[in-house]
Amino acid sequence: MALDDPHKRPSAPPGAGRPRSGSAADVPPFAGDEVLPCGRLLSRAWEEAHDAAPPPDPHTVSCPHCREAVEGLATVNAAARALRDEDPPGLRALADRVMDAVRAEVRSGRLLPLADPDRDLRIVESAAAKVLRRAADTVPGSRAATCRLVPEGNGTDVRVTMTLAVALDRPLPDRVHQVRRSVLRSAGQDLGLTVTAVDITVADVLEPGPPLGPRLPTGAGA
Amino acid sequence: MIEQTASPRPGADLPDRLLAVRAAEGDDDSFALLVQRHSRPLLALARCMLDNPQDAEEAVQDAFVGAWRRLPEYRHSAEFRTWMYRITVNRCLTMRRRRPPLLPLDVVAEPATGDAWSQPARTAEQDAATAALSRALAELDAGQRVCWILRELQGLPYKEIAHVTRTSEQTVRGRLFRARRSLQEAMGPWR
Repeated sequence: MALDDPHKRPSAPPGAGRPRSGSAADVPPFAGDEVLPCGRLLSRAWEEAHDAAPPPDPHTVSCPHCREAVEGLATVNAAARALRDEDPPGLRALADRVMDAVRAEVRSGRLLPLADPDRDLRIVESAAAKVLRRAADTVPGSRAATCRLVPEGNGTDVRVTMTLAVALDRPLPDRVHQVRRSVLRSAGQDLGLTVTAVDITVADVLEPGPPLGPRLPTGAGA
Repeated sequence: MIEQTASPRPGADLPDRLLAVRAAEGDDDSFALLVQRHSRPLLALARCMLDNPQDAEEAVQDAFVGAWRRLPEYRHSAEFRTWMYRITVNRCLTMRRRRPPLLPLDVVAEPATGDAWSQPARTAEQDAATAALSRALAELDAGQRVCWILRELQGLPYKEIAHVTRTSEQTVRGRLFRARRSLQEAMGPWR
């Protein structure tokens, strides 16, 4: 029991389990921490209320001292909520300035020959890749990740290497076949590239979700 | 085809990691989506860390442009979001060292009334309390301030905050506690 064991120290962070034991016998780990009348540390009462993953800790819910300690932060919380909800002005202009700077140092990649008998016409790799990724994206349940184009031989032949993120609701070979067809069609019709092969690797799984909602879960967060 | 027209912008449904892979190969449209997705929280963070809004915008702009340059070497060991937070925090800390604030209390980022972004329901008292919180934040030690902002305004878990600030979770918790303590005291008159 924690009371008999002064070495029992805080370990698990809230969010990854329960916070440290936080009883009065623990050495307060943080400068300025204090022991509440119920024996809990103030820091723990705050962590339980603010940072801990559900379900709520039964003690914090029922203990009047903990509740009082948590209510002590109510003013800060209310002001923090207001601060959080504010949209900083100048956001749109900032994004525009960032993209102006980014486009000024665009990475174009190599020059690729178009299927032109005189071999005079060329396209930069990044522009071609953008079009071919879009072609891959038109196949439902498939999204292109990397897309590299490499000239082959001395003519106008080009080989495409692509990695995909794919949903698992249909057999992979079908879907990959569809993507290859779409990429070949777009390379020929939209760009005028002679693509000899499209090497495709499935590198990621698309999480199930609304087909094109505002955004897919990114796996970010706790 | 229906799927395509349903989307406001192509790629808007893509997860960050896929957009980051595309951007690393020079796809500026994918990077634009990442900027659109993350600039709001990053700017809010920078405004709390720096003493004037222009510096905050400059810090976020530098962070994004720096990220664009470094994307080809980015190994995806951390989430894109965490990586961006880290670059922005570093940028803000560098700018703070470079330009010590002359008038910290007067030029702190405060919510101005009447701006387009003010909520109509906000009362003058709430505005004043928010301004007081901004001032109290400005007086915190930089380490405590960034921990508090990342936790309370951005909702990051301890682990990610520790990663962003290159410290341990235990240090994050200590800083968070002291920040809460100081803010509680500073906000005392508003109770």
